[in-house]
Amino acid sequence: MPPSTCLRSFSRLSIDVTAQTSIAQRLGRPQVALFTTSATRHATAPKRKGMTAAPKKGVKSLNTKKSRKAAAMDTGKRPAQGERKALRKRIVLSNNNALEVSSLKNLSKDNVLSEQNEGKVMGLPEEEVVDALRAVDAFKATQGWGLFRRPAVLMRKEAIQLAKLLREVEGSRTGQQKKTIRRILSGERMSGKSTLLLQGLSMGFLRDWFVISLPEAQDIVNAHTEYAPLPNSNPTQYTQDTYTANLLQQIQKANSRFLESTKLSTKPMLDIPLKPNATLKELVAVGTANPEASWPVFVALWNELSQPGRPSIMLAIDGLSHAMRNSEYLSAEVKPIHAHDLTLIRHFVDHLSGQKKLPNGGIVLAATSKSNSPTSAALDFCVEVAEARQNAPDNIPQWNPYKNVDARVMETLKDLNTDSTDLDVIRVGGLTKNEARAIMEYYAESGLLRHTVNEGFVSEKWSLAGMGNIGELERTSVRLRI
Amino acid sequence: MVCLLPVFLNGFNFQETVLVKRSLESFFGIGPKVSQGLLAKFHIHPWAKIGSLKNATVMDLTAELSNMKIENDLRREVQDNIRRLKDMGTYRGRRHAMGLPVRGQRTRTQITTARRLNKIERGGQGRVQL
Repeated sequence: MPPSTCLRSFSRLSIDVTAQTSIAQRLGRPQVALFTTSATRHATAPKRKGMTAAPKKGVKSLNTKKSRKAAAMDTGKRPAQGERKALRKRIVLSNNNALEVSSLKNLSKDNVLSEQNEGKVMGLPEEEVVDALRAVDAFKATQGWGLFRRPAVLMRKEAIQLAKLLREVEGSRTGQQKKTIRRILSGERMSGKSTLLLQGLSMGFLRDWFVISLPEAQDIVNAHTEYAPLPNSNPTQYTQDTYTANLLQQIQKANSRFLESTKLSTKPMLDIPLKPNATLKELVAVGTANPEASWPVFVALWNELSQPGRPSIMLAIDGLSHAMRNSEYLSAEVKPIHAHDLTLIRHFVDHLSGQKKLPNGGIVLAATSKSNSPTSAALDFCVEVAEARQNAPDNIPQWNPYKNVDARVMETLKDLNTDSTDLDVIRVGGLTKNEARAIMEYYAESGLLRHTVNEGFVSEKWSLAGMGNIGELERTSVRLRI
Repeated sequence: MVCLLPVFLNGFNFQETVLVKRSLESFFGIGPKVSQGLLAKFHIHPWAKIGSLKNATVMDLTAELSNMKIENDLRREVQDNIRRLKDMGTYRGRRHAMGLPVRGQRTRTQITTARRLNKIERGGQGRVQL
């Protein structure tokens, strides 16, 4: 049986609240809970906390200033100095969750230049190449190295083209005139220009070349490091001591085996005394330890490398368009300094333009960028002309006379407009379907692509990636998995 | 732990971690343009910190600053110009003395800037206060 209060409540459901209370008071009965909510709903809404009367007209009530209390509350731990940058620049080269690909073969000194590698994915050997590439900052944080078990590269047809050039240089070694080959890598965004540059560097490391890489031209010209005029230079050139010292350190780490085993054969003119019979490593160490001596040390090192019997040189730069315009530095007359007046860029550009040759042969490689490239009309035009020469020789573009021409850049790249093949453009285009299939099989074997790799699937992804753009292919098949 | 040693520039000390550009611009009479010129003259890159300067460069900068008309010298010149206007009895001088707009602006509203700035003893920001 239900308790009596319930029944009483039922019987009063429809009774007016006021009437009910008055009855209750009159009868002296205790108040009981009702099964109705109308009373509370009809009652005046309770005042909200902090709500006051409507503001008077003309009184400013909006206070947008942050309260002092809120400011005092912010006691979060701040990141340590340099922590965020370190995180941003961190290079991850392995992923323990990715599967080991059993069929993956390593590149080695013997097979790196072989044409049989075309269309295969090859691993980069850990101790010889990966460490050296890391030392010269060849890996970029935006590339997908961290997705796979260990670094591996696809030997696409452009890479084989590059390998042939290395073989050409090495083959010319027997003759007196050793070849200097100069190439500019161009292509769409994410088409693998920087990775191809990295492949070139790793070929250089494997073939025991001397590798000097300027990892990012922007860092040289954006006026974030010290600069000073080079004494006795006309027109004035500018050295960058801190940057050069750092570069020497990278060179030392990447080419340590050669530097340790080679003795000085010239007498460098340095302010700091070197013991006679010193190794090149000690020479480089002088430049690293004394930034103000870094440029003379670099010059001395270059002289050493130019002696007969020294290895061929791989000279590389990424982000070429930064080097083909005015830098952010200012001269004493508050005029912008052209990038070609910075000694390091000048050194590179002299070799790219063919003004200076590499006496022991070598390759000068420059990669352009499409995502971080300031306008350099002359460079763009020269690359366009060179591409047109390769593809459609009867339809070569003309210079737009309403554009400002940077005469120094035009002069540097004038070989692109001639028939000589010493300076040329390597067009990094889309992958072929076979190459796309090879890399997608590698994705699948790494456990990153859960799909059977058949012809239809490869064609679909290849088309989605804009006719085999490798960056887009990685994005559509690995990164954007749903 | 970073040691914060003050570096003396033109008789004032600055923390090592401060940008050279910023510390130069703290002087009355040096703005973006002048500081850019100074940095270029001594081949200091725009992101250089005070602590990274060589001693010789600091001396050069101090010598250059001591030859420039900045801080109180410059303030005095500005004040002299205003006082000259007033002594000649020009309209501009009178407006300065009254703390009202000088160049024909309306005075019905919005003259707080003029009230603040138009004085005979005009000060301004900088390392030294009058």
